[in-house]
Amino acid sequence: MNYAEWPLSAPVNLTWEITHKCNLSCIHCLSSSKSELPGELSLEECKAIVDQLAALKVFEINFGGGEPFLKDYFLSLLDYIHTKGIVTCISTNGTFLNEKAVSFFAGNSLIHIQVSLDGATPEVNNKIRGEGTYHRALEGVKLLAREKVPFSLNIVVTSLNYGQLSEMKELARSYGANLRVSRFRPSGRARDSWDLLKLSTTQLEGLSEWLGQHPGILTGDSFFSISGKGRRELGLDMCGACKMTCCIDPCGSVYPCAFMQETEFCGGNLRKTPFKEIWDSSPVFLKFRQLEPASCRRCPRFSQCRGGCPAVAFYVKKDLNSADPECLANWAREEQIYERTI
Amino acid sequence: MVFRLADNVQVRKESWGLLFYAQIQHRLFFVRSHDWLYPHYFDGTWTFDHMVKDVASRTENSAHLIEKNLQKLTDHLLKNGMVVHELC
Repeated sequence: MNYAEWPLSAPVNLTWEITHKCNLSCIHCLSSSKSELPGELSLEECKAIVDQLAALKVFEINFGGGEPFLKDYFLSLLDYIHTKGIVTCISTNGTFLNEKAVSFFAGNSLIHIQVSLDGATPEVNNKIRGEGTYHRALEGVKLLAREKVPFSLNIVVTSLNYGQLSEMKELARSYGANLRVSRFRPSGRARDSWDLLKLSTTQLEGLSEWLGQHPGILTGDSFFSISGKGRRELGLDMCGACKMTCCIDPCGSVYPCAFMQETEFCGGNLRKTPFKEIWDSSPVFLKFRQLEPASCRRCPRFSQCRGGCPAVAFYVKKDLNSADPECLANWAREEQIYERTI
Repeated sequence: MVFRLADNVQVRKESWGLLFYAQIQHRLFFVRSHDWLYPHYFDGTWTFDHMVKDVASRTENSAHLIEKNLQKLTDHLLKNGMVVHELC
């Protein structure tokens, strides 16, 4: 897709971090969640934002955080959103999926749940998400499966769980769910764990091959920079930040994506500025739509990935205009340089 | 026969045409129909003839050309499961 030919009047979906409060302290948390932030939005403020999104016909809101179920008004907010016909996707650590919450979801076609699990065994998962989290998440998963609520298991692929992808796929299947694979990116607490958890080049190549062999695995748009040809035909071929999606933080600030919540990337705050104005004319959003890493312009894959993930480039290379350091073409270039050196 | 959005499909107008969203598969479908098609055409009350008349009233194109192009567009949407055809 060439965004210039298909500009959107509003996002297709957006991530909404409804709170930073979390009962876990995962070492790869993209937003360093732990405690509620001062000045998080009230239910009435959230409803007013939903009204704006509904008027713009935003199709889907993906809730994350923090743990969304720790927000006291979360179920009331979901109810309100569903009256507007907006689809909600909830990313949860699974530890609050009790009978009451799951019965709320049952039979509601506007809800999809993603339960985070970062390993097929307690040993691997708990190293990342904390002691006891594997079994607690699976208790929630069992309830979802029993009530036939559509859900997926979500794994952030790291060096610790890379070897368990097929086991994770099987685990998800055993509960009637899909596996969703997310990319590990160095934002939030992941900056501190980046060196420990990032995939090696060999593992990235292996992941690309594995994804190519398993077209049913969900990935969102995280992997366009490492996906082989067959996989790329399945979905988006570019970063969707500010083009198809964006992120609202717990206090109403709007960012290009959940991984780019730095002050310099804030497009505005919904307490002061209408969403449409931020989307259409915030300098940050306009700049993001023009991003074209100079080093990628002559790459034959440029039209297919537009430079990859700016968040990884920004955090690793300290340069938004740098190529995604984990992209397939980068490896090819490195190999050519290596061959010439030999 | 009237057209209606398929179950669990939503649509919105964009400058270049219509953007459909299939909520179960989380799939998008882009249709470059410019100002020919509008979301309300698929609310279950519009027949093909109504659409042709409406487009004719807004454009300079001949009824023949409109019919031909609208047929292509609606066939495309039917084939891809974005809309359904049903009896009035």
